Amino acid sequence: MTGADTDPRTRADVFAVDGEIGPDLARVDWPAHPLGPPDGWPQSLRTAVRILLSSRFPMWMAWGPELTFFCNAAYRRDTLGRKYPWALGRRADEVWAEIWDDIGPRIDTVLRTGEATWDEGLLLFLERAGYREETYHTFSYSPLRDDDGTLVGMLCVVSEDTERMIGERRMATLRDLGSDPSVVRTERETLAFASRQLARNQQDLPFTLTYLFGDDGDARLVEATGLAAGHPAAPAALSRADLTSVWPLRALTEGETVRVPLDGPAFADLPQGVWPDPPTEALLVPLRQQGAAPYGFLVAGLNRYRALDDGYRGFVELAAGHVATGIASARTYQAQQRRAEELAELDRAKTAFFSNISHEFRTPLTLIMGPVDELRGRMQDADPRIREELEVIRRNGLRLGRLVNSLLDFSRLEAGRMQARFEPVDLAAVTADLASVFRSAIERAGLTFEVDCPPLPGAVHIDPGMWEKVVLNLLSNALKFTFDGSVRVELRAEDGQAVLRVSDTGIGVAADEIPRLFERFHRIENARSRSGEGSGIGLALVQELVGLHGGTITASSTVRQGTCFTVRLPFGVAHLPADALAPAGTGRAAASAEPFVQEALRWLPGDHSDLDQGDMAPVDGPVTALRDGAPARVLVADDNADMREYLTRLLRSAGHRVEAVADGRAALEAARTRTPDLVVSDVMMPRLDGLQLVAALRTDPRTAGTPVLLLSARAGQEASIEGLEAGADDYLVKPFPAAELLARVRANVELARLRNHHARWRTALVDSLQEAFFVCDEDGAVVEINAAFTDILGYGPEGLPYPPVQPWWPDPQAEPEAHRQVAAAFSVLIGQNQGTYTVPVTHRNGHRLWIAASFNQVDDPDTGRRMIVGTFRDVTAEHYAVQRETALAGLGMRLSQAEDLPDALHGVLDELRKLWRATGVVTAVFGDDPTPTVTATDAALRWESLPDARRQALVALRDTPLLTPVATRTHGAGIAVEHPDGTMALWIDLGEKRPFTEQDQTLLALLAGHIGQGLHRVHQIDQQRETALALQRAILGPAQLPAGFAVRYSPATLPLKVGGDWYDTVGLPDGRIGIVVGDCVGHGLRAATVMGQLRSACRALLLQDASPGQTLMALDRFAALLPGASCATVFCGVLDPATGRLRYSSAGHPPAIVVHPDGTSQLLEQGRSRPLAVRPGLERPEAETAVPARATLMLYTDGLVERRRQPLTVGIAHATAAIRRGRGTPVEDLATEVMDQLTPEGGYDDDVAVLLYRHPGPLELDFPAESSRLAEVRTALRGWLDRCGLAPANAYNVLVAAGEACANAIEHGHRDSPGGRIRLRAAATADALRLSVTDTGHWRDQARPADPHRGRGLVLMRALMDSITVTPGATGTTVDMQARIIR
Amino acid sequence: MSTALTLTTGSRPDGSRVLTVVGEIDMSNAASFADALNDAVRPDGEPLVVDLTGVEYLDSAGLAALFPHAERIALIAGPLLEPLLTISGLADLTTVKSG
Repeated sequence: MTGADTDPRTRADVFAVDGEIGPDLARVDWPAHPLGPPDGWPQSLRTAVRILLSSRFPMWMAWGPELTFFCNAAYRRDTLGRKYPWALGRRADEVWAEIWDDIGPRIDTVLRTGEATWDEGLLLFLERAGYREETYHTFSYSPLRDDDGTLVGMLCVVSEDTERMIGERRMATLRDLGSDPSVVRTERETLAFASRQLARNQQDLPFTLTYLFGDDGDARLVEATGLAAGHPAAPAALSRADLTSVWPLRALTEGETVRVPLDGPAFADLPQGVWPDPPTEALLVPLRQQGAAPYGFLVAGLNRYRALDDGYRGFVELAAGHVATGIASARTYQAQQRRAEELAELDRAKTAFFSNISHEFRTPLTLIMGPVDELRGRMQDADPRIREELEVIRRNGLRLGRLVNSLLDFSRLEAGRMQARFEPVDLAAVTADLASVFRSAIERAGLTFEVDCPPLPGAVHIDPGMWEKVVLNLLSNALKFTFDGSVRVELRAEDGQAVLRVSDTGIGVAADEIPRLFERFHRIENARSRSGEGSGIGLALVQELVGLHGGTITASSTVRQGTCFTVRLPFGVAHLPADALAPAGTGRAAASAEPFVQEALRWLPGDHSDLDQGDMAPVDGPVTALRDGAPARVLVADDNADMREYLTRLLRSAGHRVEAVADGRAALEAARTRTPDLVVSDVMMPRLDGLQLVAALRTDPRTAGTPVLLLSARAGQEASIEGLEAGADDYLVKPFPAAELLARVRANVELARLRNHHARWRTALVDSLQEAFFVCDEDGAVVEINAAFTDILGYGPEGLPYPPVQPWWPDPQAEPEAHRQVAAAFSVLIGQNQGTYTVPVTHRNGHRLWIAASFNQVDDPDTGRRMIVGTFRDVTAEHYAVQRETALAGLGMRLSQAEDLPDALHGVLDELRKLWRATGVVTAVFGDDPTPTVTATDAALRWESLPDARRQALVALRDTPLLTPVATRTHGAGIAVEHPDGTMALWIDLGEKRPFTEQDQTLLALLAGHIGQGLHRVHQIDQQRETALALQRAILGPAQLPAGFAVRYSPATLPLKVGGDWYDTVGLPDGRIGIVVGDCVGHGLRAATVMGQLRSACRALLLQDASPGQTLMALDRFAALLPGASCATVFCGVLDPATGRLRYSSAGHPPAIVVHPDGTSQLLEQGRSRPLAVRPGLERPEAETAVPARATLMLYTDGLVERRRQPLTVGIAHATAAIRRGRGTPVEDLATEVMDQLTPEGGYDDDVAVLLYRHPGPLELDFPAESSRLAEVRTALRGWLDRCGLAPANAYNVLVAAGEACANAIEHGHRDSPGGRIRLRAAATADALRLSVTDTGHWRDQARPADPHRGRGLVLMRALMDSITVTPGATGTTVDMQARIIR
Repeated sequence: MSTALTLTTGSRPDGSRVLTVVGEIDMSNAASFADALNDAVRPDGEPLVVDLTGVEYLDSAGLAALFPHAERIALIAGPLLEPLLTISGLADLTTVKSG
């Protein structure tokens, strides 16, 4: 009785769960099938088929000895292909014959061990689409068990990964091909690089050949992968004229893609590569060139295990496109290289020329400045824009003049041609006068200007023009480097010298820089200043000039506090050459002061920006629109406002969109915000100069490819090389013709567009990926991402770089486990060359995602650093689907395997705990009982031991709607489920702070539904089994055994508790005991029913007539009438427990065994005759024997001793030996030992019944604790000791020791509480006696000083016995004693 | 029901006094055994002969009655009792003859 047949829900509608596969399954000819008609299928098979069919996740299963194939609709769709419906009901090894070598051993393992397997992305060659196909599967085989727990099949949950695996592989190749163009310098290197990448994907490209066309139209082989050089399929050259050529050249020159079967002689021995067989087809793709004939073509050997579908064809064409782009890029790069070298040469020649003729500038400058001044005067009323432009011309004319003058001053100084004229002057007045020129500029800068020049005691000889330069240079310098505070000019007479101090509260100069302050062309790098302009000659010139005056200049400075320059000039003329002295003249300043002031004013913020209205007229010269039409976005960086405005207007006039900024830092920010097409930058700039700007742009992947055109006033080869080395794309020296700038801008933008085509293509490709794409640096910081990345995680490129720990990591406090998983994956990511992982992450908006990522490490060709390139996809849905299916399958298994309802519930709770990694799961069933029944993963939990809060929560949960999850924020979730005994509140305790997500809740609701149904089904089966078990117990044997007996019973057929064997003891009226062991033919339920009747009959017969022989003869007649009882064997005996005498008779049963205390043994082989009902009416012999004192008697059935390929006598000898070894063991323990020691490998396969008796049975006395009862207790004990066969002295010792123990019990235990009782128990083994005396009283005062008299009693006991143990307890004291038996 | 015990005091032909004990001595009747000893033992003269040959059971209760008189008594005991008298140390304090 399994109960399944009575459940109408499980009957024939097993296929009705699914409308697609179900009907086809029903059409299988089941009656002719080994599994038989579905009506007769076991419950477990039906459950499995139902789980299978109702799942939307692809699954198949194999059941029974032939591993019969079943599958569901999802599996049919994804994997089975043309094999449907042929496969249904067939042998699994027939359905999957082509991959049986791969999966067969796995299935064997599952069936042998019962352990599930897991394979991820396993390559299997399926023949389901008419050819051997390369496919990938992730699957798990889990065992299926029959109703009795036997392994009979397996369930496979599978997801096909073919598309993903192949897609990833191809994407990896394309990604590698595009990994970086800039590493590639020449065409050769480009092609070699591409070839290496192609060679890495031997699966999709078993071999490749790259041919390039020459000018004559012939093709030459430049690269090959997968084929050795000189292979007939890879000739080094192909002639256009040769029509028999291996590859069809003509079609390829015309740009067509050609598919070629590889069946000619040239292809006779193609290598097979990574596949079992060589390719059979090749795809030839031209290496296309924009607007021209192809560069050449790519021959790609095709994977014969994949169809050439759109995806495959697209992949090969994209790969060829990569190669073509690489060639284009390399050829363009070479052209560009040549051009750069030519330009550099040009610059060198120009600079030499420029330097030589700089003095010639003065004339044209004069001719510019004169008319400009004149024009300004005349244009007072003209259009403000004209005046503004005149101002620009004048300011820059002045500046140019000053620069030219400074340069000329220097060359004159160097050549010793500087003629000074020293006049005696009132230095205080002259200096204050000069200083005043700067007042307005300094005050406009928000600084305090202090001039402290009191009259000096005497005149000082100076050259007024030179002094002017000294003072103005120092003031200009002070203003340039001071951002707040003050500038101070102070003149004093000290130590016979005139001392001028120009001090500021500016940025100061570091101590180690001070010695170099006056060096020519030395500029302090990175100093914050109002302007990056400056030649670095101002202070050097000042020093030279002061020197000419016979004076000194020193500087003192503190960083961030200020700088002070001190000029000392001697009074008098002694220090000056006499021929340079001149009389006091009309020294006046300010003629040459204006350029200084004008320039300084341009450093200051003001409203001189005309950027927005500055639409300049188109510049003369060859300004043509960009070739590809799109206007370029140009970012201009220059700290000179005039130059900034000029460049802006110039570039706008050429149709560019311009953004202008005042320094490198601002330029970098602007470029990062929105990448421009070109950056035009001055070299000298505050905050971040042009070279640093280039370097910064190059290190950022977003701007690494943006071309930079540097502008500088510094002519010379070194300067341009420095610029180009820093990564600038072009270099232009001021001044420059407008047309030249525009031409270079245009050329650079076009060049960059061409060069960046690849990079842009790559960016577009990466952005178009469905999968998220990311690049990490070696520290694991994410430095580049694509659009899908942002879509999936919510984090965009504006936050780059994302250093670890990234914001999408799960919170370590709230979700330590998820955090740990991500941390582990992260260490894989940065620690291994490549890999994949699936982890939980948190979307920017907080919700949980699961992503499956794969990554590779690559070397960044520019920096040589290890970079990590990876992709991932959102597998949240799949994750939950797999989780759900696994959980459902697990629950189904637990429910179908459960022995009873509590077992089922325990199994279910265990599954739930594992699924959610919960600390515990607890349920309370609110049934008829006032106290709810609690079942929990912690088996010790009871309703009473639950905390109050939990109890209240469970009660509240009971009253929520059924199957509606209730989740708290962090600690867990609960749900109400229907239980056969009432509503069950189920609580999952997550323990730690961890959210129970919405998906978790959905899953819980789904599982709870299954649990409810499952528990009801188990309950029904349970009830039926309960009844069956009660019946079985009733027919098995006596509930109470007489003393001295031990029995064991093991039915061969689970889950039955009975079989065809039995044992029995019958207390007879005369005090003797009938003992019976029997064995009906067969086992299982059928044999059990026969057994039950024989047992009852035998019992009745023994009570009627205590003769074993007579009893068996009567049983013969009874058995003859009972179907199935014939040939049963029975050993029937009548034992006198007082004497050990045993009369017995055996009906074909194996002999009973007697093992004596000395270890000798005897088989009770007398009184033997035929099995039952063979010849009814015939006499049966009877025999008698005596079981000696302390001997062990064993009756048994043949299941204990019978083994295949082994005579019965061997088994009996083993059994005898087991008893012999255990003859010193108490009989109950001995029974366990015998069963254990004789268990065959794999367990008993037949019913086993065992009955053990040791003579004499134990003595058990229970008497009032009164000293008057001691005598009769001694009498009883004497008799028992006598039956044990003890020598008188030995017996007397035991008697006295027992007497002392009893006296103790009366004295101590019951002196203060009369009416108590004492229990004495004595049992014998072969060589020892064990006695225990237990009282029920309370020993009032344990600490009472030992009574000398009772103390003597204890001494006696210890002396007389071998060991004494006194165990005091709350309900009484037990004295255990042991004595060895002296023979 | 008390344990069966017969105590008989008499004199031997040589004039020595004898306490003959037959039966079992345990805590239920040790007091009467002690009384009999007290009555029969004399502070001087020949020691009292206590004949335990007929005793089938003697435990610490009986020994407790014998100990106080150890120097004034002489014991006769069967082989069953002898080990007990030795273990208890009584045999060291008094003379024990085999009965």
